[in-house]
Amino acid sequence: MYRYDAIDAALLADRATEFRGQVARRLSGELSEDHFKPLRLMNGLYLQLHAYMLRVAIPYGVLSADQLRRLAFIARRFDKGFGHFTTRTNIQFNWIKLADAPDILDSLAEVGLHAIQTSGNCIRNTTADPYAGATAEEIDDPRVWSEAIRQWSTFHPEFTYLPRKFKIAVTGAAKDRTAAKVHDIGLKLRRSRDGELGFEVMVGGGMGRTPYLGQTIREHLPARHLLSYLTAILRTYNRLGRRDNSYKARIKILVASLGAEAFGRAVEAEWAELDQASIDLPDLELARIRADFNDVAFQDLAPVSVALNAAKAADPSLARFVRNNVAAHKVAGYGIVNISLKAPGDVPGDCTADQMDAIADLADAYGAGEIRVTHAQNLVLPHVKLDDVAALHAGLKEIGLATANIDLASDIIACPGLDFCALANARAIPIAQAIAARFADPATAESVGELKIKISGCINACGDHHVGHIGILGVDKKGEEYYQLTLGGSGAEDASLGDVLGPALSADRVAPSVDQLVDVYLRERSPGERFLDTYRRVGLNPFKAAVYAEAV
Amino acid sequence: MTEAVITANSLLEGDVVFWAGGGWVEALADAERFDDASALDAALQTAKGQVTTVVDAYAIDIIDERGQPVPTSYRERIRALGPTTHLDHGKQALGGPSIEAIAAHAGAGVRSSGRLGLIRRK
Amino acid sequence: MPKLFKIEDDQVVARDDPFQTLADDEAPSAGSGAVILSFARFQREGEAWLSQGVRVGVRLEPDQPVEGLAYDLPRLALVALAFPKFRDGRAYSAASLLRERYKFAGEVRAVGDVLRDQALLMLRCGFDAFEPADGATVDDWSKALHRFRHVYQAAADRRQPAFAERAAASGIGAPA
Repeated sequence: MYRYDAIDAALLADRATEFRGQVARRLSGELSEDHFKPLRLMNGLYLQLHAYMLRVAIPYGVLSADQLRRLAFIARRFDKGFGHFTTRTNIQFNWIKLADAPDILDSLAEVGLHAIQTSGNCIRNTTADPYAGATAEEIDDPRVWSEAIRQWSTFHPEFTYLPRKFKIAVTGAAKDRTAAKVHDIGLKLRRSRDGELGFEVMVGGGMGRTPYLGQTIREHLPARHLLSYLTAILRTYNRLGRRDNSYKARIKILVASLGAEAFGRAVEAEWAELDQASIDLPDLELARIRADFNDVAFQDLAPVSVALNAAKAADPSLARFVRNNVAAHKVAGYGIVNISLKAPGDVPGDCTADQMDAIADLADAYGAGEIRVTHAQNLVLPHVKLDDVAALHAGLKEIGLATANIDLASDIIACPGLDFCALANARAIPIAQAIAARFADPATAESVGELKIKISGCINACGDHHVGHIGILGVDKKGEEYYQLTLGGSGAEDASLGDVLGPALSADRVAPSVDQLVDVYLRERSPGERFLDTYRRVGLNPFKAAVYAEAV
Repeated sequence: MTEAVITANSLLEGDVVFWAGGGWVEALADAERFDDASALDAALQTAKGQVTTVVDAYAIDIIDERGQPVPTSYRERIRALGPTTHLDHGKQALGGPSIEAIAAHAGAGVRSSGRLGLIRRK
Repeated sequence: MPKLFKIEDDQVVARDDPFQTLADDEAPSAGSGAVILSFARFQREGEAWLSQGVRVGVRLEPDQPVEGLAYDLPRLALVALAFPKFRDGRAYSAASLLRERYKFAGEVRAVGDVLRDQALLMLRCGFDAFEPADGATVDDWSKALHRFRHVYQAAADRRQPAFAERAAASGIGAPA
């Protein structure tokens, strides 16, 4: 993984010093809250319902074991012993004191971590495929380009005060595990007909009040021009994005109002006039970054692990774990292991400090010391020898993290919701727990198959409900928590926005309704069809009839 | 007007606090209760001026439940109690008659098994 | 409160303002050799001012594109870019374009909600003069401008970005 050099480290240290000074000036009253708030947001510090929340960046979702141990330390020393992984592959600590924030940032900087630009109207953490560098199906490693974007976007002086937040995702494989099509910019690695590496550039995707799928403004951008082209997009957005109404300020609104073609032309015109050579990274720098990512010494192993097969035959729970949580690796004899943070009954995406320490040890022992965070709020050990999977599974069982439910009905994405978030209309976590309880039996969950349920506690859609196979949106209906269901959304390469099922349901109706929807699916499905496929084939009506047939 | 209290978050710690006679207290039970609009407004202006003590002071409606103040809005009940997902976190962990009154008015507490207590505005 | 901070020889200094900023209906004081006009007033009267040998500056609001001054820039002494609120970041692009696209060599001045916490951002985008609104001292601004030992990306100030520093340090040669 990328190793911070002296320059990277100095930037983190200088930023931490800058913020320490700004906190001191706020506490003394020299800085007003109005002036301080954007500065603290750009250091990841929110004021939520119960306390400050610190959102620590995990750039493109990659962590070293030592970095994970430091997060555990932060959780213990400064919080209540746990953290929450988010849909943008960052980690949130819910019980932070402002007075501690400068010390926390100093501690994070020591291991190359920070909370830079994880909030505010600036370029946020760029996310990438969590299987990067491990999956056989990638055109190129998206982490290389994500690191290039990280450096270019960090403290970019022209783009620090955009009309609104800005999110970029990079995917390099046919299967999109980043929801690139609902990002402000989605970048899809590809090769041109003559083999040149490049990006398909999509802009204007987004969720929230007005969801949009991103539109392609450039089919093939030569990879070496990535940063200058992004500069052209950001400059166009910074100049033209709306500043009068924060609900209409995202780039998706600008692209929709100009039309993608006109927007694309404006970007191309700006790009043509830029001094691209001064912005784009020289080959030397790209090679330097790339070299850091080619750092795993894979062994020469047989493609099939006799030991693992024997262990699976003896242990059905291990067999189930391999079936659901282990994906194929590009190197023979290795596997990509998903660690579910969705044990039914737990808070989705939460991880205790003890669990973090244990995962760090397991990563060191079996996973080349590297951990990934996924957009589904789970973790990944990307490089595990198949021979080691049984021991890893046993280790995960000991810390309660061996749930074999990746992409199944109990693998629910949920935002923190009204339990924590000042923006929420309703709670999301108890809804997720109620649904997960109904699919707690692993055999049941497996028989239903892939079903991506996503829950947001408000229209800001941090739970990505618009792209859930079943999406659930919390609303405030006359002072009570109600939930609107949508069906048929997808954040993958077959992206689509969900259709509203019907009138919002009261909280106690949600989990039973999900059961009813699943019953319809099980009744209607053709062989091999996922829930999403059946929905797309039979349409809304059978599902709607099932949920709204009975009086509440 | 119905009764109201003034709430904010502490600048330094981020804790939920309530206005009481010129200063701030941690427990809703100790909050100053206002039933006069102009007194509320005057106190709110003073509270908002304490910019190095608190962030974002505002008034919330309360009702009286067996002598205890209980916020009418469920968002404010969660602020006064703590997250329903971790009953040992936040002010609810302290227990006592005030906490019980807020929680009782909210319906059954949420347990991590997933059973829900609905929070209703009267 | 200081009237004007300028960047001279990489240092921030306080200076008296040689320019008189005129409201749209305001007459200049006698002997005024340098004025800043709104874009609307410049469009009406700019030629007249310039032909009298007065140093002319134009103030642009965030929704007034710099392209509107392209023809006149070679004759302007100054462009003032407004920050109605410090969070309105359009002037950063405007300044960058003035320097990079139009090679404007006159003064680029930040006016409005101009605060020391954004000083370095403004400097990097090509601003070389500031009407500070926060009561901060030259020393405060100087500290803010020198807060970061490195920068990651190229910008209008042409400060060497990290990747160029690394190439130079490795001795392999200048970046392509």
